Order: sequence, then C-alpha cells, then structure tokens
Amino acid sequence: MSMSRPIIGLMLALLVGAFARPAAALPSYARQTGQECAACHNGFPELTPYGRLFKANGYVFPGATSSIPPVAAMVVNSFTHTQSPQVGGAAPGYGDNDNFAFEFASLFYGGAISTDLGIGAFIQTTYNHLSKRFSWDNTDIRWAHSSIVADREWVYGVSLNNNPSVTDLWNTTPAWRFPFQTSGLAPTAGTATLIEGGLAGSSLGASTYLFWDRLIYGEVGLYHTLSTRLSSTLGVDPTGSNSTSGPAFYWRLAVEPNWGRHSWEFGTFGLKASELPGRVSGFGTDDTTDIGLDTQYQFLAADYSFSLQASHIFETLTLNSTYGQGGSDKLHNSVASSHVKASVSYDQTYALTLGYFRVIGSADSGLYSGISANNSPNSAGITAEFDYTPFNHGGPGFWPWANIRFGLQYTGYLKFDGASQNYDGNGTNASANNTLYLFSWLAF
Amino acid sequence: MRKSTIPALLTLAFTLAACDTPRHDAVSQRDVDGNVHLCSSCHGITGRGVSPTFPILAGQQADYLEAQLHAFRDHSRADPHAHTYMWGMAAHLDDGAIKGLADYFSRQPAIPGPPVDEPTAAEAKAIFTNGIDARGVPACVGCHGEKAEGQSTIPRLAGQHRGYLADQLRLFRSNDRANETMHENALNLSDREIEALALYLSSL
Repeated sequence: MSMSRPIIGLMLALLVGAFARPAAALPSYARQTGQECAACHNGFPELTPYGRLFKANGYVFPGATSSIPPVAAMVVNSFTHTQSPQVGGAAPGYGDNDNFAFEFASLFYGGAISTDLGIGAFIQTTYNHLSKRFSWDNTDIRWAHSSIVADREWVYGVSLNNNPSVTDLWNTTPAWRFPFQTSGLAPTAGTATLIEGGLAGSSLGASTYLFWDRLIYGEVGLYHTLSTRLSSTLGVDPTGSNSTSGPAFYWRLAVEPNWGRHSWEFGTFGLKASELPGRVSGFGTDDTTDIGLDTQYQFLAADYSFSLQASHIFETLTLNSTYGQGGSDKLHNSVASSHVKASVSYDQTYALTLGYFRVIGSADSGLYSGISANNSPNSAGITAEFDYTPFNHGGPGFWPWANIRFGLQYTGYLKFDGASQNYDGNGTNASANNTLYLFSWLAF
Repeated sequence: MRKSTIPALLTLAFTLAACDTPRHDAVSQRDVDGNVHLCSSCHGITGRGVSPTFPILAGQQADYLEAQLHAFRDHSRADPHAHTYMWGMAAHLDDGAIKGLADYFSRQPAIPGPPVDEPTAAEAKAIFTNGIDARGVPACVGCHGEKAEGQSTIPRLAGQHRGYLADQLRLFRSNDRANETMHENALNLSDREIEALALYLSSL
C-alpha cells in the first residue's frame, strides 16, 4: 500500500471524527472570563503565570457576560502506529496495528460555582471508548480567598480532589505533566512511582494551600482510597486495587521568581502512603515515600514562547505485605522517575516539544517478573510532538470558545521494562513499542 | 447504567447550581477592591507588575485609563493583547467600576524607571524632545509632557515597561492598535528608534 492512502484516510477520519459531533475543551473558562485560551495557557494545559493565579484563586475570575453554564466537552480521535504489530490486537475490537479510534469523550464542569464565595471547580467525567467505561476523571473543587497583608498578597484555599498533584499550578508534577495526550492503543512501560497516577481517581483527598506574594507556594493534603463499592460507582475498576491504610500525605513547596517575561519555578513535592496491596490485610502494609524535585522555566513573549520542565521523583518502598505474601523477593526497593521536556511555540498556534523520560529502579524478580525478563523496571525514551492549535486566539464565530488541536507525536523507547533488546524473553526489543500517534483534540 | 449516572448527575448538579447563581449581576456590582484584585493578576499589586506584556498602571492618567477600559469594553481597541486579555476583563465593568478603577490606579505612586546611560537613550531623548523633522515625526513632548507624565487621555510614558512601550509603538505603526494620530507619528520610526525610545522612556 502506498503511503498516500493511509495518510489521506487518516486526515479524513480525524476531521470527520472531530466535526461529526457538536463541538466542546475548557471553553467554559474562556466563556466565564471572556479571554482567549492563550491568556491562561501556554499551549493547553500548561499554565501561564496568569493561569496559575486563575487556578489558585478558585477558578472564579469573572469577565465576560455569557450566561451559558460553565460546562464543556472534549473529544479525542486518533491514529496509532507501533513499530511492531501488537499480536492479538491493540485492544479488544482493534487490529494489531494502524488503528483509527475514537478514544474518549469528556464532560467538564469548569468554572465558578459561587464567585462571591470564591468557590469554583474543575470536574471531569470521561467516557473511555477503548474500555467502554464511563468514569469520573480529574476533579478539583476548591474554595479560595485572597488578601493583602503588609503589601503582600496571600492567596489561600482548600481543595477537595481525587488525584495528588491535580491541584498543582506548574506542569512539572505528574497530573499535568507532558505528554498531555498519549495513545490508549500503544504499549506503555509497566512501572511508575505511586504519585504518578497511583492514586489518581482511586482516591479522594483534601488539601490546603497558600500562595504568598506570587512567590512561594505551599500545599499539604491527605488522601484515602475509595471503597470498592464507591470506586465501582464512580466507574473506576477496583479489581486488584490497593487500599490506603490511614491517610496518604501529599506535600508541595515551590518558589517562583518572575521577572520581565520570565518565570522560573523550583520546588519539591511528594507523597507518603501505606497501602494494603490487593486490599489484603494481615501482612502489614507496603510503605511508599515519593520525593520529587522539579523546576520550570517559561519565557512568554508576545508571539512566541519557550518553556522547560524537569522533574525527578525518587521512590523508596518497604514492602512488608507484598514481601510477606511472596510477591517480591526483597523487602526494600526503590524507583526513580525522571522527566524533562522543552517546547517552543509560535503565536500560541504552532508548538514543537521534545521530551525525555526515564524510570530506573532496583530489580526484583517478584515485582517485575511479569513484565521483564531481567526483572528490572528500567525504561527510557524520547517523545517528540508537533501541535497545531488554530483556535487558541478564538474559535469560529458561531462558537468562539471552541478549541481544537491536531497533534503528531512520536515516542521512541531506548529501554522498555528492563532492557533495550529482548526485554520480554521472547525476542522483543524496546524499539518494537515505538509509537507514531496522530490525534485530534476538540473542546467546546 | 448506574455507573454512568452518578458522574453525570454530579455534573448536572453543579451546572444547575451555577445556573441558580446570579453571577454576572454580582460581578457588575463588585466594589473597586474586588476588581483591583482581578487586575493585579497581570498588572501587579498596586499596578506595578513585572511582566512587560502588561503595562504598569500605577500613576497612569485616570482619563486615559478610563478611555482605554471603555475601548476594551466596546472592542474599539483591538490589538492582539486586548483581544486575548482585556476584552473579557472589561466586559463586566460598568461605568462606575471603570471610573473607580481608573481613579484607584492613577492614585498609586508612579515609580521612576532604572536610569540608563546607553548612547541610544541620548538619541531617543532628542526624538522625544524635538521629533524628526525630515520624516515628519513630531516631538513626543508636545502631547506627553516634558517628563512624559501625560495629561488627561494622553498616557504617562515615564517609567513604563520598555517592552510594552516598544510593542505599542510597533502596533501603532502597523495600525493594529488603531489610533490615527499615533499611527502617523509612529509610521516613520525605525525599529531601532522604537527600541531606543522605549528604553529612554522606561528610564524616566
């Protein structure tokens, strides 16, 4: 088959998929503030300094006079090509390779609940078409207040949310870190630290924060996993899930000097949790401590921008329960997860991003034998992405808050689940999982 | 089906709560302090922000601020940043709020900019004071005042962000920020002269 036919077919599928449905992304914020997406975002979802203040102040900043409720929707369609076919299908109902897919659709409540009280929310519910499952997604309902004391601004608040770091203001912490969109039909490496999604959607927590003088940000939060019943009700499959034993503790401290068009953040974040693996008691708890270091630099000029994010998370595991049940061959293990990403954008419309990721950890035949022939969690790779976001300065006249992004992403693995070559013992190399991913992301 | 109804009902409940909240009425009646806080997100507390994307408002002429806010509200000022930020910001301001904000920021003390001794500053001072006769560029001082302090609807330029001043001169020159007088004044300025003027004025 020539190259032209699949490419033309792909373009048509992306366009038809995107426009066949009535449009909706967080356009609800744009409607509330009357501002363009580019006011708060240096390429969605990366926040500008103003976007950080919008979030810290509880999503309540007013502006426009639209009376449409702050709801929005998002639809993602895609095409996924992996270097080697996934024998048996990339997912139930999909082929071994070159899959077009309607991946998911989300419905959001994004905006003020009460401007006067300073209560606002980001609430996402998602229908995942690949798993045919409807579930709650990132949720952050917060109350915020600000005051000036001794000529310094104090913004403080409380958040009820379901994912440690979903409340964060920078794009270095796991919930809002690059890559912002990945294929649901491509293999992904099997190991991550707990804070990298381990409690996302499967827990409920409350945090409180203070942003002092737009310079120092601190937040602490406590999280607890949902019961299996509540988890099922909210659409999160509890099968094989862990439960926290006592509250998990999340912390965040960041400093962000701003000068001219520059902002530079550096900080730390982390999570400390005790869990019952598989919700099985009687063997003690698996204790996890994640300590993250991060930094972000942004240069936002009138028509172009540059941003860089880096984070390193070091995880220590004391696996009393897993070890006691024979699930690991060591009581103590460690994992380190690093991410670096740099991007340039022009006119908030065209963006090029390069990222590097690496997970490295202690080998354990009990923990990793299912994914790795050499019992190692180590993975590494690069991600390059080009985005075209034509409506960042306003959408079509009939619905100016709509936004759409066309993304071309390539992920190349240097190491996958333990090795570069023959990582699974069946002769599969890491590069077999290299993924070309084209997606359209529509928000209205 | 039950799995899908709970999140949907949650979203619906918040939607109805929002419909029930007289948000926009309340916003239009906000006192100046509330709006000042909103403005300070970009313009800095007391109107002296650090980013040259957003102008310093402290000590700016009240009539100028009032005129600009009206222009943002009725979309007659339509340069790119006006569209990105200020159309929305100004949409909910009634005349009283605009007057109150203009009054507030005009009363904040203007802070002189950092002194410069670059040769181009001297060149810019000459343009500011005398204009460029050969190219029909009038002296800025004629309208903006000897100390670039402005008057009434003519803005203060002294101490403004260098980057903001340069951006505005380029926008006037290209007519992306529509102002007939300033378009003609800036039309024959070179990029180098614009940068020099911005540097000089920011230092006053």
